[in-house]
Amino acid sequence: MDTSSLGISYHAILPELITATAAIAIMVGDAVARKISRRTAGLLALAGCAGAAVAVFSLWGETGPAFYGGMIINDPLRLSFAIVFLAVSTLTVLISIRWIEDEGLPAGEYFALLMFATTGMLLMASANDLVMIFLGLEITSISTYVLCGYRRQDIRSNESAVKYFILGSFSTAFLLYGIALIYGACYISGAHPAATTNLQLIRERIADGALFSPRMLMAGAAMMIVGFGFKVATAPFHIWSPDVYQGAPTPVTAFLSTGSKAAAFASFSRVFILTFAAASVMGSPELRELQSAWTGVLAVMAILTMTIGNLVAIVQTNIKRMLAYSSIAHAGYALMGIVARDWQAVAFYMIGYAVINIGAFAVIEAIARRGDIRTSLSDYSGIGFRSLGLASVLSLFLLSLAGIPATAGFVGKLLVFKSAWGAGFHMLVVIAVINSAVSWYYYLRVIVLMFFSEPAAEFNPPSLTKSLGVALVIMAIATFYLGLLPGRALALLENAKNQATMIVAK
Amino acid sequence: MEKAVFIIFAIVAVGSALNLIAQRNPLYSALSLIGTLASLSALYVTLHAQFIAAMQIIVYAGAIMVLFVFVIMLLNTPEDHPEIEKQQWLRYLAIPFAAVLIGEALYVFREIRNITLPAQGEAEHAIGTTWSIGTNLFTQYLLPFEATSVLILMAIIGAIVLARREES
Repeated sequence: MDTSSLGISYHAILPELITATAAIAIMVGDAVARKISRRTAGLLALAGCAGAAVAVFSLWGETGPAFYGGMIINDPLRLSFAIVFLAVSTLTVLISIRWIEDEGLPAGEYFALLMFATTGMLLMASANDLVMIFLGLEITSISTYVLCGYRRQDIRSNESAVKYFILGSFSTAFLLYGIALIYGACYISGAHPAATTNLQLIRERIADGALFSPRMLMAGAAMMIVGFGFKVATAPFHIWSPDVYQGAPTPVTAFLSTGSKAAAFASFSRVFILTFAAASVMGSPELRELQSAWTGVLAVMAILTMTIGNLVAIVQTNIKRMLAYSSIAHAGYALMGIVARDWQAVAFYMIGYAVINIGAFAVIEAIARRGDIRTSLSDYSGIGFRSLGLASVLSLFLLSLAGIPATAGFVGKLLVFKSAWGAGFHMLVVIAVINSAVSWYYYLRVIVLMFFSEPAAEFNPPSLTKSLGVALVIMAIATFYLGLLPGRALALLENAKNQATMIVAK
Repeated sequence: MEKAVFIIFAIVAVGSALNLIAQRNPLYSALSLIGTLASLSALYVTLHAQFIAAMQIIVYAGAIMVLFVFVIMLLNTPEDHPEIEKQQWLRYLAIPFAAVLIGEALYVFREIRNITLPAQGEAEHAIGTTWSIGTNLFTQYLLPFEATSVLILMAIIGAIVLARREES
C-alpha cells in the first residue's frame, strides 16, 4: 500500500497531539520533580489547552480531504466542538487548582487525566470513522471514571466511580454492538472494502441504496442511540447521572456535565446528522422511512428527558443533585437540535451551557469547602448578603440556566427551539417551552433562599483564590457576551453551515 | 460443513455464557468464560481470522483469564470442596496428558520444515494472516492504533491512581 495516499498529516491532529503531550509532560514532570507543585501541573494543563486552541484556529478553513485513511476529518463540526471542549477544559483546570490544594490530593495525575479526557473528546469530534469515535469515547470515559473516584477516602466518590464505571461499560457495549451491526449492514459483496466503518463510505452506500440490509442499519442505529443516549444522560438512560454527579468531586461534576456531554453530542451529530440524515435525503423512500423512525424516537426521548429532568429537580434537597437533574433537562433541550438536524444550534447550546454550568459548579465548590460538606440546599439559606459576590454570580448562572434573556442560556434555547420549530416539530417546542417555565421554579428557589431567608447556621464567607476568581469573571463575562452579542459566534457557525452543506453536496 | 461447525461452536459459546451467569461460584463462572472465549476463537477461524483466533486464546483465554482466576482465588477463599478430595485420581491423568503434549510438540518441530506456504495474494485466505493484519494496522488503521496506545497509557495512570497506597 502506498503510504502517501493515507493522508498522514500532523497538522490535522495537532490539537489532539498537544493535549496528549501536555498530559504526558505533566506525568513526566511529576516523576522527575518528585512532587510537582499543584500550580505547575495546572499551568501545564492550561498551556496545553491554549496550545490546542491555537492549533484549532490554525486549522480553521482548511477543510481538506479526509486524513489518516479517512479516520480524521477536519470540518466545521470538528472545529466548533473542539472550541467547546477546550473552553470546558480550561475552565475546569482553573476551578480545580484551588480545590486540589484544599483537598491535598495529588495534582499530577489529576491534571494528566483531565488532559487525556480532553484528548478523547477532541478525537470524538474529529473522528470520521466509527472506530475512532469508539476510541475517543473510551479515552474520555475511562479517564472520567477515575476522576469520579479521585477522592478515595470519600465513600460517595467511590460509589460515583463504581456506578459510572459499570453502567458506562454497559452502555459502551451497546454502542459497540451498534457499530458492528452498521458495519455489517454496509456490506457489499466484491466491493473494496467489503464492509466499512468509515462514515463517508457509509453515507455513500446509504445514499446509493446499496445496503446489505436496511433493517440491520436500523438496529445498529438504535443501539447507537442507546450508547450515546447514556453518555449525554437522556431519559430513560439517565438513571446513573444524579448519583454520579452528586458523588464525584465538584470540579469533576462540572467537567462531566458539560465536557463529556458535549463530546457525546459531537459524535451524535456526526453520526446521525452528517451521516444518516445527510444520506437519507438522497436515498430511497424506504430509507426516508427509517430516517423518520429514528427522528421520532429522538423526539420522544427529548420530551421524556426534559420533563423527567425538570420535574425531579424540583424535589431535590441537595444542590449538586438538583443541578444533575437540571443537566438532564438541558440534554433534552440540546437533543431537540439533533432532532431538527441542526448541529450548529447544538454546538452553540453546549458552549453556552458549559460556561454557565461550570460557573454554577465553581460557586458550589467554593461554598461546599473541603470534603464537599456544604452541598445541601439549606446551607444556602441567607448567605446572599454575607457573601454577596459569590451569591450574585451564582444567581446570574442560575438565571441563565433558566433562560433569562440577555444571557447565554437564553440564546442557546432560542436557537434550538427555533430550528426545531422550523423543522416542523411544533409540539416538541411547545413542551420544551412549558418545561422551561417549570424549571424557573427550582432555579429561583435557590436565589430566594440565598437572599430572602434567615441564615440557618453560621456561615463564614469562603475566600476566593486568584484562579477561581479569574474563572468566575471569565464565565460571567462570557455569559453576557454570548447572551448580548452572539452575532460573532453565530456568524462563525452560519459560515460553517454553508461549508458543511457544500461538503455534503460534493 | 462450515455451517455445522458454526452451529456447534455458537451453541457452546452461548451455553457457556449462560452458565457463566448461572454459576454461584465465581471460579466456575471464570471457567465458563474460558469456554465462551475458546469457542469464539473457533468461530474466528471459520471467518478466516486465524490470527485473531490465536490471539483470543493466548491473550483472553490465557493471560487475562489466569489473572481473573488468580484475583478470584485471592479475594474469596471458598469453603471446603469435598468433591475435589474425591477426584484424587484425576491427578494421575496429568502424566498421559503431558506425554501427549510433548509428543505433539515434537511432531510439530519435525514436520514444520516440510510445510509449503500458500502463495501470497490469495486474497480470500490472506485476510486473517499476520501479514495482512500488520499491513492494515500500520497503514489504514495507523491512527486508531496510536490512539489505543494513548488509551492504554491513560488507563494505566488511572489504575495506579485508584490502587496505590495512601501517603501518610
